[in-house]
Parts: sequence; structure tokens; C-alpha cells
Amino acid sequence: MKNIFLRIVVSGLFLLFIKPDFILGDVETLMKTDNCISCHIEEEELPEDFNKHDIHMQKDLSCSGCHGGNPASDDMDEAMSIEAGFVGVPSKKEIPEFCGKCHSDIGFMRSYQPRIPTDQTDQYYKSLHGLRLKKGDTKVADCSSCHTAHSIMPASDPRSSVYALNVPETCNACHGDEEYMQEYEIPTDQFTKFAKSVHGVALLKEQDTGAPACNDCHGNHGAMPPGISSISHVCGSCHVNNMQYFSDSRMGAAFKKEKLHGCEECHGNHEVQKTSDEMIGVDDKAVCSNCHEPDDKGAEVATEIHKQLTTLATTYEKALAQQKEVEHKGMDDLDIEFLLQEAKQSLTQARTLVHTFDSVKVTVKVKEGLGKADLAIKEAQAQIEDYYFRRRGFGAATFIITLLIVALFFKIREIDQRNLNKEDRR
Amino acid sequence: MSTSRRKFINLLLGGGLLGWLGSIFYPVFSYLKPPPVPEANVNSVKAGPVADFPKNSGKIIKFGRKPVILIKMDTGELRAFSATCTHLDCIVQYRDDSKQIWCACHNGIYDLRGRNVSGPPPRPLDEFAVNIVNDEIIVSKMKEIG
Repeated sequence: MKNIFLRIVVSGLFLLFIKPDFILGDVETLMKTDNCISCHIEEEELPEDFNKHDIHMQKDLSCSGCHGGNPASDDMDEAMSIEAGFVGVPSKKEIPEFCGKCHSDIGFMRSYQPRIPTDQTDQYYKSLHGLRLKKGDTKVADCSSCHTAHSIMPASDPRSSVYALNVPETCNACHGDEEYMQEYEIPTDQFTKFAKSVHGVALLKEQDTGAPACNDCHGNHGAMPPGISSISHVCGSCHVNNMQYFSDSRMGAAFKKEKLHGCEECHGNHEVQKTSDEMIGVDDKAVCSNCHEPDDKGAEVATEIHKQLTTLATTYEKALAQQKEVEHKGMDDLDIEFLLQEAKQSLTQARTLVHTFDSVKVTVKVKEGLGKADLAIKEAQAQIEDYYFRRRGFGAATFIITLLIVALFFKIREIDQRNLNKEDRR
Repeated sequence: MSTSRRKFINLLLGGGLLGWLGSIFYPVFSYLKPPPVPEANVNSVKAGPVADFPKNSGKIIKFGRKPVILIKMDTGELRAFSATCTHLDCIVQYRDDSKQIWCACHNGIYDLRGRNVSGPPPRPLDEFAVNIVNDEIIVSKMKEIG
């Protein structure tokens, strides 16, 4: 009995002081008991973007969590007094520090999420937005420009303004506004270009959250346009081999010397398109001819690489068509498909090796792929031949059987006739 | 003509007739027999005896039309994932030095849970179930939840 009483007391104390998540998350109760909210609801003065799903509200951090004051008091003057720590609405310049007073405090933030980063304010002040805000430019983005003020949700929440799929629209709200951006003299068509790019199509059309959004290249809190030296590192954070091959190549060294943007010079930036073999060589679509003359050494290498790639691509396409025919004819195409997969892999690797600008390395890989594709073609042809052999054989066998049936028919008729004649003679 | 000689001739003729019929119908049946075709929907495959598969190694097995990478970890635990890289469909391989799954095409890296950890792969690799039945490794499709 004593034990049960002790357990009840301990549980009560636990609920009172520890306040587990199921109590913290009771937003509806909070909206009724918190005097800031109930009064502002009554006065119809809630912020326009107020959302009860805001992460702070969900974690029991009501208005006073950010704006200070005493939500327990039903006296407006007392609740919003300086003595109660009320700070009201921060000015634009104060916002980073306003959010940072909690978000830069590792001790405080750890109680909510042990792995949460606390360097956002530091990063922000090193970003172009932060640097300009410090200088007094109040048009630049602050925390609330991207995260909103009262509808803040974790980046993993699809309703959040900073959820991967929503980031381009969030940035575009300012960066796509020609009038707003006029004084900064930077383009405002980044979103339009991005939406048409290979990254944009994957992210916005195919809803692939693995595809990069603005912040994946520019950073988020520390957002900056990537510089000349960092551009290949930005792209290389995902396209690792391409960056490594390029950095180790003579071209990479030459680009560095000429202070050219690595990847961007050939692939563009926001409008980066899916690559094609036409990009290399000296034809109209080839980017090599932007710098190389048709008769120089570079053009010669580019032409050779283009020739190698198109040879493998054409052979692969031919093998693929044969495999489709084998499949269509209902023959065994399993091994052919595996061979094709290997040929395609060699083609992909050869295309990546373009970034070495070494035609020998590309040729070696192309030869490997050609071996697989040729083998696939040979096997496909054997299957197709087998199919026609079976058809011819089946035709011949059907003919013989038909012939036998006809012969049998005449034989039976002849026997019947003979029997009839015998009976007549009798 | 004696009975034994007649019997012998009948036997010879009968045998000959049977042979003739066989030579006619054998090709017919062989043409009628369908050619080997790959199984359309594979749910599980045998991947060989457990003892033949060394620790800290991986191998690619054919799971119907799809390649699957089977890995035996240092601990002896077996895991299997789709071997098709989620970036551009290259075939991944096991790296025994870093103990990771690696795609040579663009240096995409997955951990031993199949999660994409670096490089361009946008998604994790699909996982397959691995069971051992009578010392034989059986790789099968994961059961769908619900």
C-alpha cells in the first residue's frame, strides 16, 4: 500500500516537473490557458501568419518564449511590462539576434534536440544577407523571410517554407521580384532557369527531394554566390568523380590559371541541362568550340572523345534494339539484358571520364563497353536466329503432319472403296 | 515361310515403322516445346552455400532481371540490396577497405544499410531479405507492410 502511494507521488512529481512530450504538445489547451494567445484571439490581433502547428507552439513555447512578457497575467500592462521581460516586435536588424538568443545557445537547444546546429546566427552574419543587414540594408532576408515568423516548421516538414521542394519558391519570393531586386543589379530569372534545369525538373516536377535546391549550392544561413575557386567544390560535393577528374586534369590547371569558373563554363549554372555527347567535339552544339579553334590540339582530342563516345552509344542503342526484339519474340533475353547493363555502365563511366580530357582513358573504357555490347548483339542474334529456326521447323513439321493426314484420309477412302468392291463382287 | 521368320520380319517392319514415326514426331514436339524464357516475376533466389561466402565481401547475384548485391559483413551477418545505383543505374559494388557500397560511375557511396551517404545517389538502395535455409543463402523480396 505504501509502495503504491509512493509510486503515485513520484509519477505526479514526474508529470509536474519533467513534462513529457505528450503534455508539451497540447496546443489547444495552451491556446486557452495562455493569456497572450487568448487575449489576442479575443481582440482579433493574432499575427496574420499565426499557425498553431508552428514548431515553437508544438514545443510549448508560446508568444512569451520569443517576445517575453508574462502569459500568466491577465492584466495587459503587467503582462507586457519591461519588468516581465517583454521585448515586443523586434526591428529587422534585431531579428537574427532575437532568434539567436535561443538558437545559438547549445545548452538550451540541446534540451529539444541533441543534434541541432547552433551556428545559424554566426553563419548568417557571414552571408551576403547578414553582411548587408549589418550595414543597414533592411531589404535583405532575415530569419523570418525564409522561415516565416509564426508558421515556423522543421525543414523536414512538407508544410515548411524551407522544405526541400519549397526552397526555390521561398528564395524566389524576393530573388524573382524584379522591382524589389532592382537596386542589387543581379538577375531575377534564376528560378525560371532552375525550373527548366535537370536539377529543377527532378526537384519540382518529379518531386525528388534528393535533387539539389538553391541552398545545396549556395548554402542556407551562410548563403553566398559560389566563388571561382569554390564552384567545382560546390558541384563536386555531389558529382565527386567529375570534380576529381577535372581537378587532376591539365584543363583544371589551365582554368585555375585563367580564373575561369570550373563546371559553370561548360554546363552553365542555374539552367544546367542534362549532358549529351554533342557537348563535346567541335560541332555547333559542342561547348569545346567556345574556346578551341577547329584545328588546335584541344579540338583534336575533343573530336576523338566525341567519336569514341558516339561509337559506344550507337553500338549500345543497336544492342538495345536487338534485345527489345528478342524480348518481343518471347525468347530468353536475360543474359543480354545483364550484358547491356554492363555496356551502359561503361558508357556512363566513359562519359564521366570526359572530365579527364584524356582521349586514351576514354578509349579504354569505350573498348570495354564495346566488348559487352558486341557480345549482347551476338547473343541477341543467336536468339533471333533460334526463333526463326523454330518457326521454319514448326512450319515443316506442320506440313508433314498435314501431308500424313491427307494421305491417311485417301488411304481410308481407298480401303473403304476396296471393301465396297469386294461386297459388290459377292 | 516358317513362323519364326514371319515374326522376325514383322518385328523388323514394326520397329522400322516406330522409328519412322519417331523421326517424324520428335522434331514436331521439339518445335512445340517452348524455348527457355526468363522467369517473369522472381520472389526469391538461391545464392549458394553460406560456407562458400567469405566475411567482409560482397557479390552480385541475378534476381530475375535485377542485379542484387549480397554482402557478408565482418560479423558474418548477411545483407542484400538492389545493386542498381539510384543515380544513373550503374551496378554498385562492395568495398572491403571502407566497408561501404560504392558506385564506380560517379563515386556514389551507400552505407551497409543501403542508405545513400555521399555522392550523387538521391535515394537509398532497396533492401532484400536474406534467410539461411539448410546452410543455403536465400535472397527474397521484402514483404510489403500492410
